[in-house]
Amino acid sequence: MVSAKKTSPTEFGPAAPEQSVGFDLESDTLVEEISIDGMCGVY
Amino acid sequence: MPDLNLDRGWDLHPQVSVRPEPFGALLYHFGTRKLSFLKDTTLLAVVRTLAEAPTARAACAAAGIAESDLPRYQRALSTLAKSSMVIERAS
Repeated sequence: MVSAKKTSPTEFGPAAPEQSVGFDLESDTLVEEISIDGMCGVY
Repeated sequence: MPDLNLDRGWDLHPQVSVRPEPFGALLYHFGTRKLSFLKDTTLLAVVRTLAEAPTARAACAAAGIAESDLPRYQRALSTLAKSSMVIERAS
């Protein structure tokens, strides 16, 4: 997952499929957003 | 929310990292600490092409987006612009 300690933006490799975030791919919305407060975010 | 102007140049914010995923991509903004889920690999292609394309419309065309699908992608890019994931290029 994303590290909050990272200081320089880089492109990093894809996660394994079992690490993927699941959500409704049938939705018409192409983008969903969350804010990360503190050390971790909950989706 | 006003739609993003497809006829202007747009760039990925320099503080944004892109992580490709099987479903599309994760975008993390190190400045705002926001995380965006791109739920479409074509949208990822658009985001990656933005910097080289003269306009967002050209980036969409390069990604193979049909004219009829443009409004959907324009809305997605507008969402990314609202959260400063993408920024309008200074002319």
